[in-house]
Amino acid sequence: MDITWGAELSHELAWGWLIAVYLFLAGVSGGSFLTASLTDLFSKNRPEKVIRSGAYIAPVSIIIGLILLVFDLGKPFSFWKLLIYVNFGSVMSIGVFIISIFSALSVIYAALVWMEAQASKRIQITGLDSGKQSVDYGREIAASAAGGAGKTNQGLQALRKPVAVVGSLFALGTATYTGFLLSDVATNLLWHTSLFGITTIPFLPILFLVSALSAGLAATLIGAVDCSDLTAYKKADIALIAIEIILLAILYLSVSPVFFSGSMSVIFWFGVVVIGLLIPLLLSIYGVAKHKNLVLPVCSMVVIGGFCLRYFIVYSGQLFK
Amino acid sequence: MAAKHYAMVIQVAKCIGCQACTVACKFQNDVPEGQYRTKTPALGPKGTYPKLTMTFEKEACQMCQNAPCVKVCPTKASHYNEDGVVLVDANKCVGCKYCMTACPYDARFINKETGAADKCTFCYEERVSKGLKPACVSTCVGGALAFGDLNDPNSDVAKIMAKAKAEVRKPEFGTQPSVYYIYEGVK
Repeated sequence: MDITWGAELSHELAWGWLIAVYLFLAGVSGGSFLTASLTDLFSKNRPEKVIRSGAYIAPVSIIIGLILLVFDLGKPFSFWKLLIYVNFGSVMSIGVFIISIFSALSVIYAALVWMEAQASKRIQITGLDSGKQSVDYGREIAASAAGGAGKTNQGLQALRKPVAVVGSLFALGTATYTGFLLSDVATNLLWHTSLFGITTIPFLPILFLVSALSAGLAATLIGAVDCSDLTAYKKADIALIAIEIILLAILYLSVSPVFFSGSMSVIFWFGVVVIGLLIPLLLSIYGVAKHKNLVLPVCSMVVIGGFCLRYFIVYSGQLFK
Repeated sequence: MAAKHYAMVIQVAKCIGCQACTVACKFQNDVPEGQYRTKTPALGPKGTYPKLTMTFEKEACQMCQNAPCVKVCPTKASHYNEDGVVLVDANKCVGCKYCMTACPYDARFINKETGAADKCTFCYEERVSKGLKPACVSTCVGGALAFGDLNDPNSDVAKIMAKAKAEVRKPEFGTQPSVYYIYEGVK
């Protein structure tokens, strides 16, 4: 307040917790979409609950994230100008288009998955009357049984695979974009860190992509917790957690220790490392080995850890400029 | 005639910390209460008597020729004008604050009244384009501030820079500021 004698004006950080939540939700959204779409495209037994959970979480989280983002603007009601004025040299400007397209595709994909689920339900009810309960069988004959509405649905379902494929690419784009947004700020020593000092390979896009896959997968499994066999997913999550631990070790060794000091040390060591990685890793290995269902505690902690990571990176990078 | 390169030269030893620049800027540019396009905090006092020093350093937009804020701005609201001065088009700005995360000099803020990013303009539109000097330079009591076209060897700034060693803030970022500091007499 005393400008004359140079007492530092309390300097608010440009980007606060709203941005941390947004980056986290964008990651969860991309990861959930990929979990659902890759299951949809490549899994033989196609666990419907996993596909539905991921397909529904993706649009909900990206839309909540975008709403937060708009309200963080100095001029919230002029957000549309981001679509009109374009700067190809700005990562954010490119990201606006990646995220917009991804949001649209995630809504379309969720609608297609929902319509099929509705059609299957109708068939299941019809099937129950005649003693058949197979959902898979129900899906096959959905169109013929449900009449006109079913025919339209069957036509629309032809879109499902292409939407899943293109959506997956944009989901990858969205998850890595959140890293590029920060890593492109060349004047920020934490955000601009590169992998092993190779300046052409920025570090944050890799870290945020792995974290997004991990948190998105975890969020999806929370929504499909009563699904019978999730072993493959649990193993994937163990692998992702292990990769993330290695990446964070690399980060810790390649930037100044000041970024892990003060209030940031609690967020990093307790939130990111212990809650988000170590406990879930141990519990998860134990759960898979002993065939115990620990999905809920493990996945909840992974999701919390994913948020703590975004919070840590956003704040620490600005606090210790 | 080469393009203009407007620059400000600050002779730190001549600054008496009177804050006339701070006030003139607020007066000229209608900057909202509690916000500043330029500040001149006191650094020190450092050392022990009788070797005590205290300096004042004017802080504002450094008018980088390789400006991180211009690079990251998603709407091109932050731009170089025809004379290479970094300006913000408040109409194009959405207030995303990406420029504020990129500026290593903390020179920018979100204007409370407009919601757009705001900063020093070298008083370009109101004064410099009309042949005047920025308000802070005109009002400077100790003659610490000089302003002009570095490409014109007869300008105040070119003459001062020819004689003394000038430094820029945070040169390691390669931002190529157009605000120079001369520490002769204080270091």
